[in-house]
Amino acid sequence: MISANASALDGSLYFAISLLLVILSFAGYFIFLLTGNKTVSKASFVVLIAAFLIQTFAFVIRWIDAYKIGIDTPPLVDLYDSMVFFAYVIILGFILIRIFYDFDILGFIITIVAALALAFASFSPLAPSAIEPTIPALQSYWLIYHIMTLFVSYGAFGASFGLGILYLIKSGKENKNGGGNKKRGGFVSLLPPSIIIEEAIYKVVVFGLVFLTVGILIGAAWADSAWGGYWSWDPKETWSLITWLTYILFIHARFIKGWGGKKMAWIAVIGFAVVIFCYLGVDLILPGLHSYATPGSTSIL
Amino acid sequence: MLSKLNKFFSSVKLAIFLFIAIAAFSMVGTFINQGDTASQYRTIFGTQTYHVLYWLGFLNIYGSWYFIGLAALLVVNIVTASVNIFPRTLKAVFGPYPSFKEMMDKKSPKAVYEVVESTKNAGETKKVLNEKFGKPFSETETELYYSKNSIFRFSPYIAHLSIIIIIIGVILNVKYGFRSYANIKVGGKTDISYLTKNRKPLNLPFTIRLDDYRTKYYKDGIPKSYTSKISIIKNHVRVATKNIRVNHPFTYDGITIYQASYGHYKPTKVIVGLLVLNLKNRKFRKAIYADVGKLYDAGIDNIKFRFITHKKPKKGEIPFFIKLNNKHIINFHVLPYKNQSTPLVFAKYDNIVFIYSGVKQVKSYYYSGVEITKNSYTSVIWVGSIILIIGLFFSFFFNHREIWVNLTNSKDGKKIQAEILAVPKKKFESFYKDFYKKTAAIKKELH
Ligand code: HEM
Repeated sequence: MISANASALDGSLYFAISLLLVILSFAGYFIFLLTGNKTVSKASFVVLIAAFLIQTFAFVIRWIDAYKIGIDTPPLVDLYDSMVFFAYVIILGFILIRIFYDFDILGFIITIVAALALAFASFSPLAPSAIEPTIPALQSYWLIYHIMTLFVSYGAFGASFGLGILYLIKSGKENKNGGGNKKRGGFVSLLPPSIIIEEAIYKVVVFGLVFLTVGILIGAAWADSAWGGYWSWDPKETWSLITWLTYILFIHARFIKGWGGKKMAWIAVIGFAVVIFCYLGVDLILPGLHSYATPGSTSIL
Repeated sequence: MLSKLNKFFSSVKLAIFLFIAIAAFSMVGTFINQGDTASQYRTIFGTQTYHVLYWLGFLNIYGSWYFIGLAALLVVNIVTASVNIFPRTLKAVFGPYPSFKEMMDKKSPKAVYEVVESTKNAGETKKVLNEKFGKPFSETETELYYSKNSIFRFSPYIAHLSIIIIIIGVILNVKYGFRSYANIKVGGKTDISYLTKNRKPLNLPFTIRLDDYRTKYYKDGIPKSYTSKISIIKNHVRVATKNIRVNHPFTYDGITIYQASYGHYKPTKVIVGLLVLNLKNRKFRKAIYADVGKLYDAGIDNIKFRFITHKKPKKGEIPFFIKLNNKHIINFHVLPYKNQSTPLVFAKYDNIVFIYSGVKQVKSYYYSGVEITKNSYTSVIWVGSIILIIGLFFSFFFNHREIWVNLTNSKDGKKIQAEILAVPKKKFESFYKDFYKKTAAIKKELH
């Protein structure tokens, strides 16, 4: 029996409400996708902003709750927190992009990703919402900067994943129709020309890459000051390096002749799969390795 | 030959290959636990697989020759690529700048080209162009060259240089520093620690004493903090005392001591206290702390004995006995001892009496696991890191913009024709949009 995480006390009820709003917004974007009705997409955007505000409120509640039981660091540590924070950041990213670009259709993909993250947080037994005291290894202000920067980057890579898929759809159709044929209606005609998406992918990726680099380096500096070594080849660290290499590959790929937008879009899509593995896979599939203990003793990290 | 080698080592294709290869080998290391002992690997994989993995270097992949080789190749790749394109960058920043004709002949696929007819004279025309494109970088009678943000052409070099600095820092750190650990029991001390990479012992330049160890808990029993009180002893003199806990290490003499783990040593055996008396001369006494089952010399008439416990003692019977010379079994008897509450428990054989004086528990104790590291040259790594972030930032968000304009008189000599050419560094839609917007405005004003 799956029971939802929905308690007003620890704020999870509000995240559950925001999940409903995100799904509603997704439904709106879906209708927009079929009909091209601008009013619907605008309404969806407003609903998404409402979801975002409710999440902000929920974060404040959780932080206060954590503070009350004597935890100084903000609730960002366990799987539930990180999933809802991921949804939060990716929605924020989309809101910012949407303000500067007329890019409604991206909302369709962003709301899917955000809804999946929120649904996982709200329903997976792997991610209980109760606020747990922070273990000593994580009681540090480095933690906040470390997690915040990494999540901004994850959000950006999530957006570049969405853009990459849109690019692949659009450029496939453009090729078939022999260039930007605007006569046909439907979903594809709503997309901006692929060359605009291509630029957006690059910009979002490099934004994410700067934050990823900063986040990894903050992690290394923290590990150095707290645990005695800036780098231990622990699975999480190693996968963050693999993620970093994937996007470093992305920025260099354009210097190779003949590697056009399509290959770049694929790298953006694959890159996000690597991000997801680094973020969830390492914890869920490679458990027990995330430890710095010396042999024969109880690990406290 | 040489140019072929150069082309190979400086190619971005090699870079792509290296990124993929390094990522792939790193991945292997996350699926196979690194740095376990041979016997651990044998139990996990079996001897055969263990040998194969060992031979492949998969059990210490990040220290394997090919992993280090890939990193070295990356450095060579970065250096040769940078050296190869550096002259071009210098030229782009400091000149001599390519002329309009040179750029036209290049026929770059990224280039955009517009022709604008001007009814105004040359001076006026230039003025309008300057209004849109900014101050020209260089100017001749018929040519204008606009260049903005050219200095940021150096940004990728800064990013690449930072990678080399970081790698140098890591090499120095590995060469001159160490990472080790030691488990010290409360009240105990050590001047030896064990290297994390291969568990080899290492002599420390001082002695670490663990004065105390404490775990603090939250109300619900989850650990809140682990604190060790440690003292540094040098030449028998205590030179420092400090509490360390997770996230709060202590550095002495360039060596940092971190709280890493804790443990509880629980003994599995008991020791029995026995008093052995010689009845013949009443002189000989011997106190023995005997492990159960172990053979001891009684010191009398060459008698050897073991202290044995009954597997299933009967009710009312004393649950242990003594076995002499592996032959005789002698049982214990109880003698109520005057007014004292504890009776005398003894076993007798000829002239020997064994008096049972109670079970002695081997003391259990806590120990603290500390990491002891010497982190030399980490500052090099941090400097490289900061340069990397700066390099990335300026590479991504600051672009060099160049525009070439060629002015010619039209055939009838009445009009001036301005050919405008732009070649962006990055093939971005926004660049072209901006270009067409500006040229359209110029067209309007010059008409
Ligand atoms: C591993 C770490 C590396 C980092 C962090 C890095 C970083 C960068 C950055 C930020 C740029 C600018 C990209 C842009 O403007 O979009 C760049 C460009 C470039 N990189 Fe790398 N790079 C690395 C490795 C390499 C390697 C191994 C090569 C070897 C060929 C290489 C060759 C180049 C080239 C040729 C450019 C174009 C330079 C230019 O436009 O002037 N990079 N790199």
